[in-house]
Amino acid sequence: MSAQLLDIISSAAIFYIVAAGLLIVFGVMKIINFAHGGFLTIGGYAALVTTELGLNPWLALPLAALTGLVIGALVEHFVVRPLYARPLDAILATWGLGIVIGQLITIAFGREVQFVQSPVKGTTSLLGEDYSLYRLLLVIGALVLAAGLAAILQGTRLGLMTRAVIMNESLARGLGINSGLVRFASFSVGSALASLAGALITPLSSVDPNMGVPWLVNAFMLVLVSGTSLVSLAIATVVLGGAQVLISAFWSPILGSLTIVVLAAVILRIRPQGFARE
Amino acid sequence: MNRVLLSASPQLRKILGLALLALLAVGVAPFLLDIYTVNILVRSLLYACVALTVDILWGYTGILTFGQSAFFGIGAYACGLAFSHLGLSPTVAILAFVGGLAVAAATAALVGWLAFGYGVSPIYVSVVTLVLPIVVTQILFSGGTFTGSSSGLSGFDTVDLDLETWFWIAGGALVILTTAAWIFVRSDAGRLLVAIRENEQRCEYLGINTSLLKTMILVAAALVAAAAGYAYAAYTDVIAPELAGFVFGTELVIWVALGGRGTLIGPVVGAIVIDLVSAYLSGSLPFVWKLVIGLAFVLVIVVLPQGFVPLLRKGWRRLSRSAPPAEPISALRPAPGASRRHSTAGTSLALQHVSRHYGSLKVLAGIDLSVRPGELLSLVGPNGAGKTTLIRCIADGHERSGGRVLVQGNDIGRRSPQRCVAFGIGRKFQTANVFETLTVAECLRLARHRLERPSWWARGSTLSVPEAALNVISATGLDRELGAAVTHLSHGMKQALELAMVLALEPSVLLLDEPTAGLTKPERALIGGILTTLAREHALSILLVEHDLDFVREISSRVVVLHQGRIVLDGTVAEVVDSALVRTIYAGEEHAVTGAAR
Amino acid sequence: MDKQHVAWSGIISLGAALMIGGSAFAADPIKIGIPVGLSGANSVVAPSVVQSAQLAADEINAKGGILGRQVELEVADDGSGAAGAQKAFDSLIFQKKANALITMETSAARNAGLPIVARGKVPFIYTSFYEGRSCSPYLYVDAWVPDQQVAPIVDYFMQKKGAKTFFLVGSDYAFGRGMLDFTRQYIQKKGGKILGEEYAPMDATDWTAIISKIRAANPDALVTSTAGGAPNVTLTKQLRAAGIKALYGNLAVDEGTAKGMGTDAEGIYISASYLTSIDSPKNKEFLAAMKKKFGAELKTPNDLSVPEYEGVYLYKAAVEKAKSTDTAAVIKALAEVSFEGPRGVIQMSKQRHAPLTMYLGQVQGDGSVKVLESFKDVDPGNQCPNLK
Repeated sequence: MSAQLLDIISSAAIFYIVAAGLLIVFGVMKIINFAHGGFLTIGGYAALVTTELGLNPWLALPLAALTGLVIGALVEHFVVRPLYARPLDAILATWGLGIVIGQLITIAFGREVQFVQSPVKGTTSLLGEDYSLYRLLLVIGALVLAAGLAAILQGTRLGLMTRAVIMNESLARGLGINSGLVRFASFSVGSALASLAGALITPLSSVDPNMGVPWLVNAFMLVLVSGTSLVSLAIATVVLGGAQVLISAFWSPILGSLTIVVLAAVILRIRPQGFARE
Repeated sequence: MNRVLLSASPQLRKILGLALLALLAVGVAPFLLDIYTVNILVRSLLYACVALTVDILWGYTGILTFGQSAFFGIGAYACGLAFSHLGLSPTVAILAFVGGLAVAAATAALVGWLAFGYGVSPIYVSVVTLVLPIVVTQILFSGGTFTGSSSGLSGFDTVDLDLETWFWIAGGALVILTTAAWIFVRSDAGRLLVAIRENEQRCEYLGINTSLLKTMILVAAALVAAAAGYAYAAYTDVIAPELAGFVFGTELVIWVALGGRGTLIGPVVGAIVIDLVSAYLSGSLPFVWKLVIGLAFVLVIVVLPQGFVPLLRKGWRRLSRSAPPAEPISALRPAPGASRRHSTAGTSLALQHVSRHYGSLKVLAGIDLSVRPGELLSLVGPNGAGKTTLIRCIADGHERSGGRVLVQGNDIGRRSPQRCVAFGIGRKFQTANVFETLTVAECLRLARHRLERPSWWARGSTLSVPEAALNVISATGLDRELGAAVTHLSHGMKQALELAMVLALEPSVLLLDEPTAGLTKPERALIGGILTTLAREHALSILLVEHDLDFVREISSRVVVLHQGRIVLDGTVAEVVDSALVRTIYAGEEHAVTGAAR
Repeated sequence: MDKQHVAWSGIISLGAALMIGGSAFAADPIKIGIPVGLSGANSVVAPSVVQSAQLAADEINAKGGILGRQVELEVADDGSGAAGAQKAFDSLIFQKKANALITMETSAARNAGLPIVARGKVPFIYTSFYEGRSCSPYLYVDAWVPDQQVAPIVDYFMQKKGAKTFFLVGSDYAFGRGMLDFTRQYIQKKGGKILGEEYAPMDATDWTAIISKIRAANPDALVTSTAGGAPNVTLTKQLRAAGIKALYGNLAVDEGTAKGMGTDAEGIYISASYLTSIDSPKNKEFLAAMKKKFGAELKTPNDLSVPEYEGVYLYKAAVEKAKSTDTAAVIKALAEVSFEGPRGVIQMSKQRHAPLTMYLGQVQGDGSVKVLESFKDVDPGNQCPNLK
């Protein structure tokens, strides 16, 4: 039972890390960035490059975040800005972008599946179980991330401006807040987070040009169910991610992978705000 | 059949002629092209059938769907599973076909129930259509050796037809489907799709059951996709989970976007061309080609939302210098029986203790109101008093938090707007809420939808509207603009059109939200005259929200004053206008009120 | 002088004419189609397969080709799956007009391609180990089937390591299920107990749920049969990360993938028909030639790629025996010809399959494989009793 508990916590942590960036973009810009999967992939390949260059695997994280930041900034400026008024088209355009990113990566790195070195190997004993040390570190990573985001949003000026724009953009602009800057910053940071997440998850599995796609759909559903609140996201990842782990463990792993997606769709139908408070 | 063809408009005859030409091309093609191309084309043609359904759903009805692949996969697996496990025989083939279509239809109905419920956002719809192929794929994976899981099933005994016959089947089906879709989309009923895409709210308030319609379209699309999938499996002799996957589902959207959404021909051509070229290039330039498609897609979405085919069409038109086909202009005639007086007995509208609150914020509280036929009641009050909210609570059963609303004695309960319209509510919005890209005649015909079902394939040349609406139309000059696109009308004309549309519903209770906003003085006088006539001669109950107190004084038979969510005064014009209470509420408008008292 | 001139001109002209005429025939190459998983699960091993084919083609062409015709390779990506295989097979058979298909691919791809092969009527030499019992008039297999491969591992676990309980994990498709089906029956026949049998889709990367079950069941030995390539790596990585200590027999990993796994692969037991450490002159010659041709780009030759090399040579032998590329003749000849390659003498003489020498090995920390036992000329059993 404690193995399941650790599985739930670590899976929730991983989902949180993957979905946080998407949520920030959704909250500020009210569009779903379907290129999120592409940014995950970029992060994964940044980790690959780190491995191939023989550098310390921990360096993959800042490298991935930086790459995501830069590319995200470019994407915001050229692709996302014209589509602010057309959210459905924004989904499509960013999806197309995800394809473009995937193809560019394929051209650069080849389409085969590759592997990166894990920065940390082995197991550690917790709650009477031998559990993967890396997965436990990811839990700590998710907590650090949550704390960091909360600190920025609650404690800094940019965070305050961001929260204002999330709540009511036209009012914020009326008060003189440069919402264009906030959107630019949010998208870039969201993309950086996505790439960071990509670099963090690859040691658990593998790297290939399409690795981001399965994560994208789950992250997307988690974000829709969480509205614009990072706290709701944390709740959603534990509840839905937990349900996924339990169903996979006790019933069928294949149907288990559907859990988040199906539960989220049903929850949204019953309560369109999902886990958000209002 | 002869009568149909003879009475068919020139447009229809042209379409049928083109269809015949296309069928001929399909018949001849297998002998002119090489085997490999024909091979690929059979698949591309079947894909194009599915792309067509995506265009109907997305391009015309505004439902962005990634899920048509799921239905394609269901059809394919019905075929493959039946042949693999039950063997090949005509009975099995027919049962599998029917079974596959039935499962697809049931799934579509379920999706429709889930996605098209009241108050669901368009993003949620796309979400559900995205989730669908994922769910179907995973179910296929979990099928173990029955469905072949990851590898699928192949090599089963299948219908043995030669390549040419398959080509004719696929090509023929595509031509027939495209023609049928074309005819439908240009028919009066087809305009419903555009109306829903444009302004679903207005459709609901015209009594059109948009949820049901969308679900029906989805089911029809699912049937077509499943049939295409069935043929695909029978032809290729392979079924695999990728057929139902969301990668294929998104590819369909890409083809439709690049070909030109909402053009029918565009997506068909787009699907065929892109699939064909992909097959040829997949050996030599696989990555670059996909990159090009991806870039083109992003470009099209951002810069050219209409896709490439309309561009070509514009160019062709410029070349051939022919005028675009003229809109068949409808003639108007009065609807029979619609000018009867409504009964003057009883209460047409009753509100009992209606309240509306958002959390702890109370917008309306304890509203008790009765309106009789023939009353012209003005609802006044300062901004934020809750006037528009009250209108909403009357027209939409979901809106209020408590209390009862009875229209013609019927409790509207929690019914959605279109059901309230059936009881006799007609709501005109504050800003002209019409269908911008349609013509005046089409808007009016849509307004008659509840009472006169439009044809599914033809365009009517006459339109019957009630006398009240006719008065508005002729008085404002709309009868000379029947063929004009609404977006070209002036603001005043749009307001008049919306009023005419609402009157075409033959309501017994008319709700008007600031009908004079933005109108010139003569226009206001016109509207005032029309409303008075409606109340007096047609025994309509009219409830209007107004800020122009002069207008209120001129036409109302009764005035209700709303303040901070409560009715503070309810009486004749004289009683209300003179009252001190109103003066204090409208502090700053004293001179307008006292002027009348003198 | 004149007569000599004329004579020489005549001879030269005749020679030129013959050469031109001859080269017009000789220029018509023999196309070998290779639909292989350049993307998807097999993408980890596909490059090694293509390299083997390239070496074989180069060597054959250097010696004058097959019946004087040069060998040309046409490679197409089958996406490691059914849908991709359809496109690849269609393209190779109908567009590129391949004379034969010689390749390694997943069972999903192979099953989807067979109907197309039957329609196109070309010989198909399948060079991948697989779950057995795939039969088609056009199909030959020069790699192992479970009847040859499973026994060494299971017997070793039960007899030498005293294992009594087993847990089976596989990719959910024809190969995974077929292999584990055979394994389960073999284990039960030998008196062992199966504690669990779990499958994940071919492209799955997250084995967490299955690993939880393994941990709970606590078997003596774990036997896995995933798709070749990526799933092996992710499963092994996650198994090691979870600290599973059971004996680990992997029915589907090749040496190259094992090397790529690094230290995670240490201790894995494999049963293969080819190991780079095979001590024979042919193998050494082969390895030297591969190193020379590909240098730093060389992907470790392995049990999925070496049969490709031998497959090309077997095709050459069959065409030469049949004296043409005519499908019916070649198919008849393929059962009769043999070739001595890095794995020894290969002849696909037993119902379209080949008796093979099998090696039981254990992966070492440095990626090499230590041979524990070897079995000569293991019979493939009755794979296609209806095909003669």
